[in-house]
Amino acid sequence: MPGLLEFNNYSMGFLNDEGQVINMMDNVSFAVQEGRAVGIVGESGCGKSMTTLSIMRLLPNNAVVQGGVINFQGTNLLALSQESMEEIRGKDIAMIFQEPMTSLNPVLSIGFQIGETLQRHQPALSKAEIKEKVIEQLRMVGIPNPEKRYSQFPHQFSGGMRQRVMIAMATICHPKILIADEPTTALDVTIQAQVLDLMSKLKVNGSLMLITHNLGIVVEICDDVVVMYAGRVVESGSMVEIFDHPTHPYTRGLFAAIPTLTHNQDELYTIPGSVPVSTKFLPGCRFAPRCTQAMEHCYTQVPPERELSPSHLVNCWLEFEQRGEG
Amino acid sequence: MIESRTFREAFFRNRLAVLGLIGVVLIALTGILAPILREYPSGYGSELYNQPSAKYPLGSDSMGLDIFAEVIWGSRSSFYISLMAVAVASLIGIPAGLISGYYKGWIGEVIDGTVDIFLTLPTLPLMIIIAAVMGPSITNVAIVIGLLAWPSLARITRNATLKISEMQFIEAARSLGINSKAILFKHIFLNIAGPVLVNLTLVMATAVLAESGLSFLGLGDPTTWSWGTILKKAWDAGAIIDTPNPWWWWLSPSLFITLYVVCFNMLGTGINDTLNPKNRED
Repeated sequence: MPGLLEFNNYSMGFLNDEGQVINMMDNVSFAVQEGRAVGIVGESGCGKSMTTLSIMRLLPNNAVVQGGVINFQGTNLLALSQESMEEIRGKDIAMIFQEPMTSLNPVLSIGFQIGETLQRHQPALSKAEIKEKVIEQLRMVGIPNPEKRYSQFPHQFSGGMRQRVMIAMATICHPKILIADEPTTALDVTIQAQVLDLMSKLKVNGSLMLITHNLGIVVEICDDVVVMYAGRVVESGSMVEIFDHPTHPYTRGLFAAIPTLTHNQDELYTIPGSVPVSTKFLPGCRFAPRCTQAMEHCYTQVPPERELSPSHLVNCWLEFEQRGEG
Repeated sequence: MIESRTFREAFFRNRLAVLGLIGVVLIALTGILAPILREYPSGYGSELYNQPSAKYPLGSDSMGLDIFAEVIWGSRSSFYISLMAVAVASLIGIPAGLISGYYKGWIGEVIDGTVDIFLTLPTLPLMIIIAAVMGPSITNVAIVIGLLAWPSLARITRNATLKISEMQFIEAARSLGINSKAILFKHIFLNIAGPVLVNLTLVMATAVLAESGLSFLGLGDPTTWSWGTILKKAWDAGAIIDTPNPWWWWLSPSLFITLYVVCFNMLGTGINDTLNPKNRED
């Protein structure tokens, strides 16, 4: 099924001091469908942020794309010139960052920063029109007193308010895809809920790609889920499928680690070990050392991708029952 | 809700900054208005070694020339020299620092290496040699000072740029499609303007000091009045060790040099303090 944004066997890595490329993301394939929200889930160091930076083509200097394509509306983003990429950023694909405290330029006013994006992508607008639209946008993301707030500086806003400003900035051009890289991690829980509400409200216009390690947020607003581990997609499918039938041992581990109110647990379940650094990746399944069901060939051979149902893919050597349409 | 002051309001509440600004403006004005204020001092006067009086507010020198007029015309050339030197230094130094700090890679390395080489050059001897080769003219002196001042400016700009360009708001701006030029000259430059401006005012001050030094050594333009030239003439005439001592002759240019440097430093610090919107509240 072709999507609005598609990763096809995308691989990238980092150049080390000896000039070798250490693979980080390996054969990543998934799609973001038009109008749907995709949650990308995994622990820290799984390559979630590299996924978003790859789309934006904002990878660090020592990153090397090893193969594959990232298609957006049928064009390969990796083949675009710097100029065409700048056209797409902010207009068709926009991004919200994790740290609202450092994502705004401290010496430029809020109004200017939001307006700059608009001016960049719609140069025909007059100054007055831009100001009007920015104030309208500020009102839409729930910033009280937007006329006054327009000329204020970031330090006069709280964390939650800054994240709203970031959302206003990212959505002012009505992007087709909004990427949110752990947008609520730095916020406290009540503000989290408000920001999530706001994002699902704004999502109506386009697709949303949500990077998170909080499965609760995924249930809240996502339609599809991609579970990543150590730079590979281990399981992907619709939210209902994955939540009802988590299959890959890693996904099951993630779900088991969620604290519940219904069971009385003395100690929370944890997946033993931690995500390996990219220099220590195994040739086979990268999760094998932490997997309770690992077999011998798991360590040496890359697991195959198997379809459990039309909307559920898993990459694992274990045998699973096939199901029909979930 | 905290009301934010504009830059201007905050600046004018900073007493030192305003004092510095007044001093700088006064010196600049006397320089610009020199032809109206006093006739260009040349030739010989009739009254030698006059104490400061109504006719000679700062006394007269061994040739009977009005020192007040000399100081006024001196501030003209001093101001001109420091402006030129700053222009040369910032035209090379600021872009060099911004580019080497933002585009790391080989281009940054090359610029950084060049800066290192320039920083190891012994400034004063080189200045003397270049001034001697290029011939005494205040424009030459200004260019030489500028050429030797840009590496420190580039270094400061680069360090500040390195820090700012790693901030998330720069990544955020890039993710919104803002092009590198706008990021570099708007988002980054405004953030590093504080230390850079302070350094520029220091260059202004050191330019005047350097020019005075060169003129004092006889490498300045002998046909143009500058504060250094006045001191040089006073020194040559033995005014510093004479008894009775014509203190007004050497004291006034020295005071003006000090005043100029101090005023520019205060102005620079003041700008730095008020440039950050966070400091504008109290």
